[in-house]
Amino acid sequence: MIDKNLSLRNRRKLLLGLFDDEDKMVAATSALVHEGVKIQDVYTPYPVHGLDRIIGARRSWLSIVAFLCGLTGFSLAYLMIWYMYVYDWPMDIGNKPERLTPSWVPILFESTVLLTAFGMAFFFFWRSRLVHGIKPELLDPRQTDDLMIICVESGHDVNESQVLDIMKQNGAAELRTRDGGVSTVI
Amino acid sequence: MGHGHQIEIVQEQFTIPSKAKTFAIIVGVLGLILSGIGMATIDKTPVAGAHESHAQTEMKGHEEHATAAGSHEMHANSGETHVEGNFGHRASYEKQNKPWTTRIWTSLLIASYYLFIVSLAALFFIVVQYIANAGWSAAIKRVPEAIATFIPVAFIILLAVIVVAKNDIYHWVHYEHLHAAKGSAEYDTILAGKSWFLNSTMFFAFPIVLVTLWVLIGRKLRKLSIQEDSAEKGETKFHKKSIRWSAGFAVLYGFLFSVVVWYFVMSIDAHWYSTIFGVYNFAIGWVSALTIICLFVIFLKSQGFLKIVSDEHVHDLGKFMFAFSIFWAYIWVSQYLLIWYAHIPEEMAYYQIRYEEYKPYFIANITLNFFTPFLVLMMRNAKRNKMVLTIAGSLMITGKFIDIWLMVIPGVYGPGMNIGFLEAGAFLTLVGVFIYWVLVALTKRGLVPVNHPFIEESAHHDVGV
Repeated sequence: MIDKNLSLRNRRKLLLGLFDDEDKMVAATSALVHEGVKIQDVYTPYPVHGLDRIIGARRSWLSIVAFLCGLTGFSLAYLMIWYMYVYDWPMDIGNKPERLTPSWVPILFESTVLLTAFGMAFFFFWRSRLVHGIKPELLDPRQTDDLMIICVESGHDVNESQVLDIMKQNGAAELRTRDGGVSTVI
Repeated sequence: MGHGHQIEIVQEQFTIPSKAKTFAIIVGVLGLILSGIGMATIDKTPVAGAHESHAQTEMKGHEEHATAAGSHEMHANSGETHVEGNFGHRASYEKQNKPWTTRIWTSLLIASYYLFIVSLAALFFIVVQYIANAGWSAAIKRVPEAIATFIPVAFIILLAVIVVAKNDIYHWVHYEHLHAAKGSAEYDTILAGKSWFLNSTMFFAFPIVLVTLWVLIGRKLRKLSIQEDSAEKGETKFHKKSIRWSAGFAVLYGFLFSVVVWYFVMSIDAHWYSTIFGVYNFAIGWVSALTIICLFVIFLKSQGFLKIVSDEHVHDLGKFMFAFSIFWAYIWVSQYLLIWYAHIPEEMAYYQIRYEEYKPYFIANITLNFFTPFLVLMMRNAKRNKMVLTIAGSLMITGKFIDIWLMVIPGVYGPGMNIGFLEAGAFLTLVGVFIYWVLVALTKRGLVPVNHPFIEESAHHDVGV
């Protein structure tokens, strides 16, 4: 299943601050965090260093996934060589021993690397809903070009006017709300 | 982090903390003491005599097969393989007895060669950063620069060792095989064929010319870096010049480092050759240089210097250590696997002695240089933990010492040698000198390249959560 938590479709009302300047956006994010506002996410067309720390993003599980995929690749290759070369049809090639030998190393290595790379790419696309055929959900098409969007989910503990004020004071180019998939300029 | 607040770039002047000075001196003196113990306790009879029984059986074997040598007879059993014939190590095994002092010279050769390739790789580190337009490393740039000033020292020690002891270390230096008439029993086709390359003139001329060029480029880069410090803010003239010099160095180093390695190490086993040997030695020097840069950065941080260097830089150096340990293992396997698989006698000879007679060292080599860093440094937290990095780094340096020992010693003495007081002593002595030298070199100028075009970027370096 594609991760539902990342879907925007089922969200409540969202408050959006659109920024055309990285520094202003970062300042606004810091200010919001400072005020104790929970930021849903910040969408940027390119990676902004340090932003993940400001919004308190958790460390990605990707490296652990990579390790497990590598382990799988190693084990599968080992099983494969053992089955083919030792168990099913033992072969004598240049009088080399049957047990684990240097000639196994390239296969073990390549298989480990292959499954690590494919596994990481697959899990990354899966987790970030970039699966082929899925219609991308964008808060605003400009988030893929030149705008950065701070997204705050509205709720009973969120002071909407305060959030919008902070964004505005820090130089938001545009403020929007998004309710039921309809985005309106404030 | 990094955003919304400015990081002030301030010049820092390094003064050697007395603890560091004491540490370098203790390492050096410990090395000298161990060398002293080694010299006092070593068996003063000629070295080959000390392993008489082994050497003799070895020689007998060869004599018996002397007649069959032409057919390159080979006994291959399922488990064990004996290679005989007129190639490989025979010439070095049966060479006349070596005086016991040869042990001192080979010990010094190993230590100075190691520090030579390490300081050279440190210079290459700076060069790579220039060519790649890398920003993150600007803040730690002075450390590899200081390490690179050790190149001439290590090289001079290396040359001195070779001048004194080349007859005992490099068996091809003996010219009998060249003067022998073609077709006579003493005539050595392989060495005669290599004599245009392996001769005393080239042996000294080539490395001296090449290393002089490298050192001059290194000095030029250092000078440009000083000039940049006192230039106006935003002046990129020196940086652009540095990039051009770096490109020149990269070409000279990339193509010709192998040749120096062939002369100094591979020619110990003059009948044997491996085309990847230069890359293999580069891998040793490069991963060691990264480790030593990392250790110096950790040390400077612990003393309150390098204020703009953060955990992020240390983390990246840790990644380098981890990645290039795997690179080392990759090259190690590339060399070993092909020779093991092809099983050609003249190639096998090199690994046969190292695997059969030096198995503990052979295993320690792979364990310390690959499995240790691979398992210890894999986790992200380990690469950000200075204590883990220090321990893993020290183990890696020990591993590299064993690696070079294993390349040199079996070729010179044949089977039956061990790492003794002399080897450890010479290594520690030179490492003590090296540490002291680098510390002094660090005091010679400001620790922060304040006008480096990428210094701001480096100060804000962040690898993310």
